[in-house]
Amino acid sequence: MSANLPVHEDELHAYADGQLAPASAEEVGAAIVREPALGARVAEIRRQNALLRDVFDPWLAEPMPRKLLGAATGRALRASSRWQPWAALAASLVLGLGIGWFGRGEMLQLGGTPVSFSRQAALTHALYASDANRPVEVWAAEEQRLVNWLSKRLAFPLHAPDLNSVGFSLVGGRLVAGNEKPGAMFMYENTDRQRISLLVRKDGWPSHETAFRYAFEDGVGVFYWIDEDCGYALSGRIDRGQLLSIARVVYGQLAALEAAPK
Amino acid sequence: MPETLPHPDLVAALPRLRRYARVLTGDVHRADDLVQDTLARAWEKRRLWQAGSDLRAWLFTIMHNVHVNQYAVRRREFAQASLDADDGPAAGWEIPVRATQSDRVELAEVLAQVGRLPVEQREVLILAAVEELRYEEISEVLGVPIGTVMSRLSRAREKLRRMNAETAPLKVVR
Repeated sequence: MSANLPVHEDELHAYADGQLAPASAEEVGAAIVREPALGARVAEIRRQNALLRDVFDPWLAEPMPRKLLGAATGRALRASSRWQPWAALAASLVLGLGIGWFGRGEMLQLGGTPVSFSRQAALTHALYASDANRPVEVWAAEEQRLVNWLSKRLAFPLHAPDLNSVGFSLVGGRLVAGNEKPGAMFMYENTDRQRISLLVRKDGWPSHETAFRYAFEDGVGVFYWIDEDCGYALSGRIDRGQLLSIARVVYGQLAALEAAPK
Repeated sequence: MPETLPHPDLVAALPRLRRYARVLTGDVHRADDLVQDTLARAWEKRRLWQAGSDLRAWLFTIMHNVHVNQYAVRRREFAQASLDADDGPAAGWEIPVRATQSDRVELAEVLAQVGRLPVEQREVLILAAVEELRYEEISEVLGVPIGTVMSRLSRAREKLRRMNAETAPLKVVR
């Protein structure tokens, strides 16, 4: 094509935003080669876009107020509606909050399995959850990049559970040291600025699965379990009942993921 | 016609709704009220949502309309209550920069500059550059012709470019 038509202003924006059809994009691309000034404008728009995302993406990682989560479920309408079976589910998750220390020390016992794992989880949590500025290496705004990166470093596919339903939103994650291999930590936060973290590690366990176990290390509660030779530990300075109910959500999501067709 | 909305999708859309609300209102607290009003409206109108269509764009549309209506009411109240009410475009842009962002002064500047854009340009810019909606979708969300979307986008980008050039003459050096 040699019809050197001038590039329309709208086309330039659409090109920079990746919204042009391939044929038109090719034409604009050719025009840019002819006129470097056009290329500079496209580069400027893209630089601006990247800057705007840097500014506004961190907002996505902020903890979600409970009242908004409630509004999302249409809770205000519940009294008048019959078609929200999940409303009951949401309510039962919230119920976990009220359980408190009931049954402490009886429900679950520390067995002969990875004590060191729970201890590591508690220490890691204590170290990073209290860090106001850098609790994580990669923020939740870049969740996909975070998960990809950690999966690559740990050499198996990871998944950051979605805990919004229990009032905790993802803050981000980091790579942490393990005994033989590194582990991955995902951190979450609720509107009261309470943080919990999930540690995931494959580290040559005796290959069997365990039920939920509870440990209390240095003021940090830890529910941990091993599934498919992968260890998981959910840690936090929150009450045991709440931690357990969240651990169940995590477990359920991971199990659903495993069951899903690949 | 759906009798309910897909709850997981709705929850997943929440952070983006909240962000858009802040861009519209320029205020963290008013933004949360706007999100809440938008969600209530969405549930009321759930039968109008077409299952399978983009829930996020639909919610943005509702939020835009709720905001426009509330803004109109507020303007009228202002007009009646006082004479000096200059409720200009950038009035009340009071979003604090989070501690996590403070290590980059440039980002705080950009945030303030976006706040200085008229809301019509601000919303188009955010929907296009940050939410990456297609121009046709933006046109539907805002209920304006696509030509209007394009001219607002173009003006927003130009203004931002100029503000940036003025405030940061010494930036470069990598």
